[in-house]
Amino acid sequence: MTKQLHRLAPLILVLLGVAGMLGARSLGLGELNAPGPGLWPFIVAMLLTGTGIVLLFIDDPEDYEPWTRGTLGIALGLASLAVFIVLFETIGFLVSAILMLLFWLRIFAREPWRWAVPLAVLGALAFHLVFVEALAVPFPDGIVFAPVGS
Amino acid sequence: MGILEGIGQGFSVALDPTNLLYVFIGVLIGTVIGVLPGLGPTATIALLLPITYEIEPVTAVILLAGIYYGSMYGGTITSVLLQLPGEAASVVTTFDGYQMAKQGRAGPALGIAAIGSWVGGTVSVIGLVLLAPPLADLAVEFGSQEYVALTALGILLVTYLGTRHPVKSLSMAALGLLLATVGQDLITGTNRFTFGSISLFDGFDFVAVAMGLFGVGEILYNVEKTEKAQALKSKISNIWPSRKDLRDSSGAIARGSVMGFFIGVLPGGGGVISSLASYATEKRRAKDPTRFGKGAIEGVAGPETANNASSTSAFIPLLTLGIPPNVVLALIFGALLIQGITPGPQLIDQQPEIFWGVIASMAIGNLMLLILNIPLVGFFVQLLRVRAGILAAFALLVTMAGVFSVNNDIFDMWVVLVFGVIGWLMKKTGFEPGPLVLAFVLGAILESNFRRSMLISGGEFSTFFTRPMSGTLFALMALVIIWSTVQGIRRRRRRSRPSTPGEEDLAATGTTAEPEGTPGAENTDDTEGATTGAPRDGSGSTGATGSTASGAQDGGPGPDRG
Repeated sequence: MTKQLHRLAPLILVLLGVAGMLGARSLGLGELNAPGPGLWPFIVAMLLTGTGIVLLFIDDPEDYEPWTRGTLGIALGLASLAVFIVLFETIGFLVSAILMLLFWLRIFAREPWRWAVPLAVLGALAFHLVFVEALAVPFPDGIVFAPVGS
Repeated sequence: MGILEGIGQGFSVALDPTNLLYVFIGVLIGTVIGVLPGLGPTATIALLLPITYEIEPVTAVILLAGIYYGSMYGGTITSVLLQLPGEAASVVTTFDGYQMAKQGRAGPALGIAAIGSWVGGTVSVIGLVLLAPPLADLAVEFGSQEYVALTALGILLVTYLGTRHPVKSLSMAALGLLLATVGQDLITGTNRFTFGSISLFDGFDFVAVAMGLFGVGEILYNVEKTEKAQALKSKISNIWPSRKDLRDSSGAIARGSVMGFFIGVLPGGGGVISSLASYATEKRRAKDPTRFGKGAIEGVAGPETANNASSTSAFIPLLTLGIPPNVVLALIFGALLIQGITPGPQLIDQQPEIFWGVIASMAIGNLMLLILNIPLVGFFVQLLRVRAGILAAFALLVTMAGVFSVNNDIFDMWVVLVFGVIGWLMKKTGFEPGPLVLAFVLGAILESNFRRSMLISGGEFSTFFTRPMSGTLFALMALVIIWSTVQGIRRRRRRSRPSTPGEEDLAATGTTAEPEGTPGAENTDDTEGATTGAPRDGSGSTGATGSTASGAQDGGPGPDRG
């Protein structure tokens, strides 16, 4: 079973392609001399399905890298980015940026606290200055600089 | 407008203090990220796309172009000193450049690379000036059929050249084209694949897709294979090459300039392929080919000249036809689209300040690089002390904050994250994000021209084949497909390697064409590790660790991956 696992990726592509073709057909293909909105997506989805099917058979399993413990770390990193986006929306940039930097510097860069903390705080402050003060990007209201900004 | 008049206008644009500053920033950033192994020019340009909203279109292109050709210089430094190519186009430089460094000739290697790069860049700028206006005149005659043919050929060639696996790249291109159809149909106003989401009404934002796939995807992939910081021990002295060095490499520089120029113009060409081709040529022409791989200065001068020449000439198809020939140029194309400028045949007439300004800035930028590089090599090498993890953390934060600043929309941040995951998974599974992004950028152009052709011709597909220009282009495409299929079948039979121009010669040294604009750290093959003999000076030992480290990361050399 695990030997066939690498065929998962082409399979997903084929499914995507078929879904695209069905979706495009329901949009209306029109006629060749008067193409509807679905004609082009249909052609493209057909190409995707076709190449996906070819890959199901010829793809080289060596292209696929094994899943390691590092992979788990990446999942954690992705989760941290998702958390960052949510925090950013609710409590603003500065605090979420400090937390996110701290997390990455500690967990992935394995910096000691004495480096991670100042780097995170100064880094977040620098970005705040660049984006909010210099470029005037309207970040969501923060809990630190909110009174200043509004 | 005459060429001389154009050049005059170009320099008046490029010498504007703001633009001068941005050329400088561009080439500096380019050199820095060329040195840093974790970030390639593609990722950097993707990360900096939001900034281009804030500045004038011509300034934006000047900045991004500077990053692109600047990275070609920067990649050389680490290739020569540490056998760590900072970006993919410098991989071949490791063969002879690093050997020269081991023989205590790091200075001349870097010096000749800088001089060659400058010559190549300058020759290419001159070629661009001479070739682009007539090409644009020709392209004005193009109908929508020709655009379909040209765009399709561009996508096809990018998927076939410079990628490891054509079918996989083609399926990614198809996915890119499909993603490009999301949103409102420009002709009928129908919502396509939006699933009722208002945020998808305008389709996926190009910046968010590019930043996700290249920025976040690449950072995550690199974090997974954490790299050790490299320390440099060897001293660099005597950077100026001797008269004999110059004489030895003058032929290589001349050939590299011409070759790089023409390969850069081709869709799918660019720094990586041109440097491979130049190395192969120099080795074939040499009276004593065995010197190559042992510190032949031509092996440094030729490829370095060629990659820089091609990174300049790659602007020709973009600025005259509106077709980006590789992924880096696709990002620049996207940056121009964001500004409401569609590069194409009309660009020279309608926005001469962009066309000539960018060209003039390249001449200035190349000169700046020459001046920057020779005295500052030591400083750039110190950048390697920056640890990859710190770089990743800050790059991710820039990405997130940057993409928000484009539309001030949280939704785009989620798009970046999702495409980051996709980009990382694609890297893990051997699919390349390059063709996807290129196809995504070109999707709308391809679709609208296709539909227009169908309308004009009354639904006859033959319209694409009967017109002389588009017929020729489609015939060319058929040739590419047939040729590569035959090659593919042969390869499966022999279990040998993919064949890109000049690669046969490089098979022995163990290199494959990496996609344009990728950071090159993982491409050092362990073949060179074997040649690491007794270190003659301090740099020998660092090199040994460098090659074993990269060999371990890669889990084996690239060549066998079909």
